[in-house]
Amino acid sequence: MKVLNRLPSLIAILFFVLTLNTNAQNGEQFNDAEIAAIAVAANDIDIKYAEIAKDKSSNKEILNFANTMVNDHTAVINQAVELVTKLGVEPQPNALSKKLNEDAQKTREMLQGKSGKAFDKAYIENEVAYHKAVINAVRNVLIPDTENKELKDLLEVVLPALETHLEHAESVQKKIVG
Amino acid sequence: MIYSMRFYVLLTIWILLIALTGCSKTKGDSPDKAGKTHIVEIKKMKFIPSEITVAPGDSVQWINRDIVAHNVTEEFSTDWKSPDLKIGESFTLQVNNTESYLCTLHPVMTGRIILKGD
Repeated sequence: MKVLNRLPSLIAILFFVLTLNTNAQNGEQFNDAEIAAIAVAANDIDIKYAEIAKDKSSNKEILNFANTMVNDHTAVINQAVELVTKLGVEPQPNALSKKLNEDAQKTREMLQGKSGKAFDKAYIENEVAYHKAVINAVRNVLIPDTENKELKDLLEVVLPALETHLEHAESVQKKIVG
Repeated sequence: MIYSMRFYVLLTIWILLIALTGCSKTKGDSPDKAGKTHIVEIKKMKFIPSEITVAPGDSVQWINRDIVAHNVTEEFSTDWKSPDLKIGESFTLQVNNTESYLCTLHPVMTGRIILKGD
């Protein structure tokens, strides 16, 4: 039953990883404009999860984590937008960025349907899984595919932030789930 | 009332003596002014260096060179805390004790200042 409750977000995350890996195996590469759109979508999705948490949770650890997610991912989006504007690259929505947004909508609906401790648990479990998937994608697909050096540098600097978020999420998860 | 030249000379000497004594006292009471300032950079979600040894009266200055905001907060009692530092901002602390600290925005980021002789 517990697994069933988490199924929508787990399927979404699994799809994210599988799609990226399939693209890599098929030798299909994302161009820089598509990578920019994927990066913005991935950050925006986590901001929206955090906004739900800020609205629904009263747990201090969850609220602190959610505030950090909003602030950090907003900072990353701003820097990505500033960079692509400077480079004259228009983020190009693509099948993956659209699918990510569609799946995130299902996860948000799942989170909205929960309350109290069940919500806190579902939110932080999703954050752990989501950050693992995004780290994998950034490290193994997006950074290798990126051609522009400044965009690649930005993704490389974002990676430690994502890893720190994952450690933070796992620490909160241990306190909540035990 | 007209004062003699001798009065003005004595008054000037007295004022100078007070000023000099005052300066000397301030300097003696604030050895930190002569202390060294150690730089800790915040980069890629780490305090660099994460551990630093300083002498009494020294200061530590943290500079945020990362892509997100950070703060510096005493780990156990939060006795002292910087404001949230935006990119490029810094915070300076005069060190009087050995200190463990963290960023409360990212609690997995920790650092330590060791005071010599503590």
